[in-house]
Amino acid sequence: MNVRVIPLFALLAAAWPLAALAQPESSATAPATAFPDGREIMEQVEEYQRATSDSAFNRMQLSTCRFGVSENRITCAERPRVKALESVGKNYGPEGLDSRAVTIVLEPADERGIGLLSYVYDDADRQNESWIYLSALGRVKRIASGNSDEESEAASLFGSEFTTEDMDTGKLDQYEITVLEESTEGGREVWVVELLPNEARARETRYGRIVNYIDKERHVALRTDLYDHYGNGVKRMLASRVELLDGIWMARSATMMNLITNRLSNMAVIEIYTGIDVDDEVLTQRMLTDAAFRETQLQSIRDQVE
Amino acid sequence: MTVGSLISGRGWWNALLLCLLPLSAVAQPADDPAPADEFELDLGFDDELFADAFEEDGDEREESWLDDFTVRISQQVFGQVNRHTLELPPGFSFPREPMIESNRLGVNIRYQNLFANGWLLQASGQSRIYWNEDYEYIANGDRIEEESRINEFFVQRSFGSHSVKLGNQTVVWGETVGNSVLDVINIAEFRDFTIIDIEDARLNQPMLVWDYFSENSGSFSTFLTLYPEFNPAPVRGSPLFFDPGYHLPDYERNGDILFEVGSQWRYSIERSDFAVMAAYLIENQLRWEPPRPGARDSLAKKNDFVLLGFSANRAIGDMLLNFDLAYSHGILANSFSLPGTTGLSAPVDLEKNQIGTSFGLEYSISNEQNVSFGVAAQKLLDLNEGLPAGPLMQNDDFFGNWLVRYSNSLLDGDLVLSSTIFGDLEGDSLLGQFGVDYTIDDNWSISSQIVAISGKIPSPMVFFDEDLRLGATISFSF
Repeated sequence: MNVRVIPLFALLAAAWPLAALAQPESSATAPATAFPDGREIMEQVEEYQRATSDSAFNRMQLSTCRFGVSENRITCAERPRVKALESVGKNYGPEGLDSRAVTIVLEPADERGIGLLSYVYDDADRQNESWIYLSALGRVKRIASGNSDEESEAASLFGSEFTTEDMDTGKLDQYEITVLEESTEGGREVWVVELLPNEARARETRYGRIVNYIDKERHVALRTDLYDHYGNGVKRMLASRVELLDGIWMARSATMMNLITNRLSNMAVIEIYTGIDVDDEVLTQRMLTDAAFRETQLQSIRDQVE
Repeated sequence: MTVGSLISGRGWWNALLLCLLPLSAVAQPADDPAPADEFELDLGFDDELFADAFEEDGDEREESWLDDFTVRISQQVFGQVNRHTLELPPGFSFPREPMIESNRLGVNIRYQNLFANGWLLQASGQSRIYWNEDYEYIANGDRIEEESRINEFFVQRSFGSHSVKLGNQTVVWGETVGNSVLDVINIAEFRDFTIIDIEDARLNQPMLVWDYFSENSGSFSTFLTLYPEFNPAPVRGSPLFFDPGYHLPDYERNGDILFEVGSQWRYSIERSDFAVMAAYLIENQLRWEPPRPGARDSLAKKNDFVLLGFSANRAIGDMLLNFDLAYSHGILANSFSLPGTTGLSAPVDLEKNQIGTSFGLEYSISNEQNVSFGVAAQKLLDLNEGLPAGPLMQNDDFFGNWLVRYSNSLLDGDLVLSSTIFGDLEGDSLLGQFGVDYTIDDNWSISSQIVAISGKIPSPMVFFDEDLRLGATISFSF
């Protein structure tokens, strides 16, 4: 059994490249020195992420709080709300560029059993799809989260600062990717890579500019700054606990700070496993509606990893 | 504030306090750090802020049989607060005084246990204790009343592509949330105005449900019930109870075996889900005819019919369109009524065909704000065919209802403001609701709502015209 990354988290860590934006507020200028190709850097980051999200099972803790500044450091200004999640994911498509994931809430008690099924497509012409199961509705409900206009924002992930758009992968063709400079982040040498969405992508995203700080050696996004279409910083993602798992570096903790609402969410990947046997039917709507099937499948997966 | 203080007779002060609580709770920071309104991008961030998540070893946590239970304890106070006079022509008027209608403690328990591979037992139930000034307390002779009910109770077996469920459960058809013309399988109970959503009012029924999940051909679901139930009659003394002057009995089965059966095939394509369905059903709402001379009980009659349906949705960017279409064959005319009312108009035992449709639109304004709109319309075909001279059909054209919902989720969902406006297509009634839900922590939550009603003849809502209801509920879940 290989211990690796989680689909959801992998998506998070690699998602920033994908998030899109409208018009470049400060378009990149040609670098003064010869930098590697930004597209190649991002493809490498994505490749790592895909490798860690295929046939993967993970347990996560999603914590959200209002943040403030204490002793010149960001900290929670209130007791965080915590959700415990389990997620199963698998890559699809001829080249494994599409992905499917189902995430189930374990805690808190009054949200137990809520499930989210997501299909993410690499093809820019295909809109990602999501379904949610709420016991109050008694049925599966499709979620419209296509971000059809630039003023809208993608659906939140279980009420956190992470959105479905933040989880997108692929669609690199829709971006102009430039290496802005070399720098350091958290004591690590990084490439600062800017992604500017093309016109089509700009219509579908809240983000007008994405700046990734990619660890040169480990190909992990240590920090991502997300700007709106007017050049204002709206979110920042910080990754930590970067660990080498089965030959691939990955961050097991990602914190998304919303600079508008002063709230943050942390996604902690407590346990991550890849290379597990995941039945295709696990990644269908049956997993949401058929409780006996869901619990049996999850138990089977838990038995695999334990 | 304690739960105990809510039980006293001064419920309105408590209700007001409860309404204000969410706001004060929001304004009160839980810690000292200064607000980050001068946020600097280069401020440090403590990597160890959430380190606890990695220190807790989930494997070491002892599993308990209690893990299979989810419990919610709640105390609710709700009442009509507008002093006014109800004018019911010709020449009738009734004073409406402020009064508490609900003052009750509730316990909801849900149990789910995978007791063997592929086997699941699921059950849920609720108990209520009605305190002083609750209409149930008054109806019980000013004594504390208690009521318990089993909601779900079924065993499920999943194997291969099949799933079989036996017991009390819910079957929901249709895409339109709130007022689908296809969501007619399970019965519902709208006992009072604290419940205005069908999702909250739906009751489970004893059924056998078989689902088949095909790899490439969608899913196929069939249900069978040999004991169809009917919407409970409004409880005497409840806000929705209208005294007809005689008893409203249950349906007399007389040893007859009634049944309902139906099937649905559901399929998903990119950006859309759709389904077709067919069923033999007995209408959930009984028809009560006036009693025979000398009798005190009215005559409860059932209304069976055949339903053919189609439903679909379509995601277009941030918008989701829902569509339901229902064709009812052999349904008795003149038996349609608003939920919670009794359909007491003189019935004409005339079988008709009916077509109904509901259309819904859900739109995400932003990550926090959502708005939805739904409209349901029905029409009897060949309306006056077979109608004897004299009687008139209760609904002479399209009839139905519409609703608009808006919600704004703040503080990452801890504070939710919502509003619903509900009315009938004829424009005879309108119900407006505004709600505030605040999640204090993983256990405690509090909600309050205001409901305003406008109604005119011939809508049954005329009895609640100008009513203004205010209430709050505090809940503890674990």
